[in-house]
Amino acid sequence: MAQHQAPVGIVANPASGRDVRRLVARASAFPVSEKCHMITRLLAALAATGVTRVLAMPDRGGITERLRRAIATQGPHDGWPQVEFVEMPIEDGPADTLRAVELMVAAGVAAIVVLGGDGTHRLAASACGETPIMALSTGTNNVFPEIREATIAGIATGLVATGRVDATRASRRNKVLRVEVDGQQTDLAVVDAAISNHRWIGSKALWHPELLSQLFVTFAESDALGLSSIAGLLCPVSRRAAHGLRIDLLPPERAAVTLKAPIAPGLMASVGIAGVCEIRPSEPQSIHSGSGVIALDGEREIEFRPQQRVAIRLGLDGPLTIDTGEVMTQAARDGLLVSRHA
Amino acid sequence: MQLSRADLLKAYRTMKMIREFEERLHIEFAAGEVPGFVHLYAGEEAVATGVCMHLDDRDKITSTHRGHGHCLAKGCDVDGMMAEIFGKTNGLCAGKGGSMHIADLSKGMLGANGIVGGGPPLACGAALAAKKLGTGGVAVSFVGDGGANQGTTLESLNLAAIWSLPCIFVIENNGYAESTSCKYAGACHDFADRASGFNMPGVTVDGHDFFAVHEVTGEAVRRARMGNGPTLIECKVNRYYGHFEGDAQTYRARDEVKTIRETRDCIANFEKKATSSGMLAASELQETSREVLAQIDDAVAKAKAAARPGAADLLTHVYVSY
Repeated sequence: MAQHQAPVGIVANPASGRDVRRLVARASAFPVSEKCHMITRLLAALAATGVTRVLAMPDRGGITERLRRAIATQGPHDGWPQVEFVEMPIEDGPADTLRAVELMVAAGVAAIVVLGGDGTHRLAASACGETPIMALSTGTNNVFPEIREATIAGIATGLVATGRVDATRASRRNKVLRVEVDGQQTDLAVVDAAISNHRWIGSKALWHPELLSQLFVTFAESDALGLSSIAGLLCPVSRRAAHGLRIDLLPPERAAVTLKAPIAPGLMASVGIAGVCEIRPSEPQSIHSGSGVIALDGEREIEFRPQQRVAIRLGLDGPLTIDTGEVMTQAARDGLLVSRHA
Repeated sequence: MQLSRADLLKAYRTMKMIREFEERLHIEFAAGEVPGFVHLYAGEEAVATGVCMHLDDRDKITSTHRGHGHCLAKGCDVDGMMAEIFGKTNGLCAGKGGSMHIADLSKGMLGANGIVGGGPPLACGAALAAKKLGTGGVAVSFVGDGGANQGTTLESLNLAAIWSLPCIFVIENNGYAESTSCKYAGACHDFADRASGFNMPGVTVDGHDFFAVHEVTGEAVRRARMGNGPTLIECKVNRYYGHFEGDAQTYRARDEVKTIRETRDCIANFEKKATSSGMLAASELQETSREVLAQIDDAVAKAKAAARPGAADLLTHVYVSY
């Protein structure tokens, strides 16, 4: 196999899938051991497609250590790609994902496999540029990433990374919501941005819909879980549509229209609806609240105060994600995994 | 639960009290004034404070050998604690317990504990008593990452689950069991992962963030009081000093603590948030700090001036009468 082939990046968030929603909702835990199993399945599939080198995010949460052990004890015929851990300081926080993705992009990876929830993918999306992401769910509310078997995701990523499928056709462009505070872009969301009357970021997750005043979504599927389900059950918007939605919310006891929505695993909440409207790219959406917290993809991230100007804009130029179904369809059609022997 | 101004001031006073208490002990121990061992809690203040703010007189806590912060957050008397650590007769345990055996049953503080993993079984007992007596109380067991690997802790998690006890296990994962990295010593790096094996919710929280700890613990206490059983909360945190005073800490990177102090200090972050929100004024925080420092000075002076137990005290406090 050619040694100049671009490597594949793997970013696995050790912290995903264990926040307070295990306590206030009925979310499942996603243990580190399972994340590591998923990576080994990815490696097996990447190897089968000819990927020879992988750059992985280092962590102190147990993934790196387990992965090193798995690599050292792999079977003689496994032939996994060479795995190198990106050299970077580890902060045990969101900055690790950002830094790892930036360094992988700088190293010229052909694609980055991200294991996490919506929050992890939000971070990857803000740093990946034009490098396509294979979005795999290991989080709590999983709208942006797919719940996919890692082996299949590994095959699809490998076929893209080795140039055996048409990357343009195999990838799709996603939308984003950009948050501006005092005219400066501070962050983005890949699924939803919500304005909450919480005062503090606290434990990040949102489970009190009566505190929400506004919700913005890039897309909304009627079978989604999380805040975007509110939009999805009122007015679904596809990932490819050139618009998003804004929902104005009220405490349910003050609203003429209420909706029961699955805002977290096992947590059906009554939400008061004051209005729904489409939002168009680049039009700044102003925030009604004087102060509060902006939650991005379900996690409280930005505390804002009355003296600050906050705006949210929809962008159609978000990250590229690999369309696993499309890649596998191409693989079957073109016999990419077929070998014929005399 | 939205925190009021009074809540925030109380939280700040408690965190600051713990910090200054420990910083002062660091100095006094080096000067040879403190007998026995001390294990300082500096850096972990947001955990004890965020947890104990939800507790009242019905509730019990069990602590660890690093217990000063738990004691102060549960309301133990500062003078009595300082005197106890100095081994003086006016201490909470008449100077016979010292740092590792401070207890004040009147405050629901069932004791620091020299036995690693010694607290969880006691917390199960306290929680069972609360449940049987219908007091509405809960028990919180603070455990370190070393203690979390002890059989006593695992047995207690099981017992609390099968009896649906109003018990909350707060694992303070500061990364090191004495000098052994938890990455080496734990087959499971994230202790919250273990909770599902005991059929209870397990949550990981940033132990440097008072607001996060307070919010998560509030939900766990509410769940316990409603009779819905135990919760495991893992607080990822760092200690600023060694395992014990005098520990050379050769197992830590040179700038590890310096970086954490500069970037993740729970008190500095609290000050920033509380003032930028407009909830508290910087002058209020400064005044609180001055009061805390004066109280610590006073406690140290009283402790130094007090008497040590003498020969006549040798056979007292050996047995407890029920």
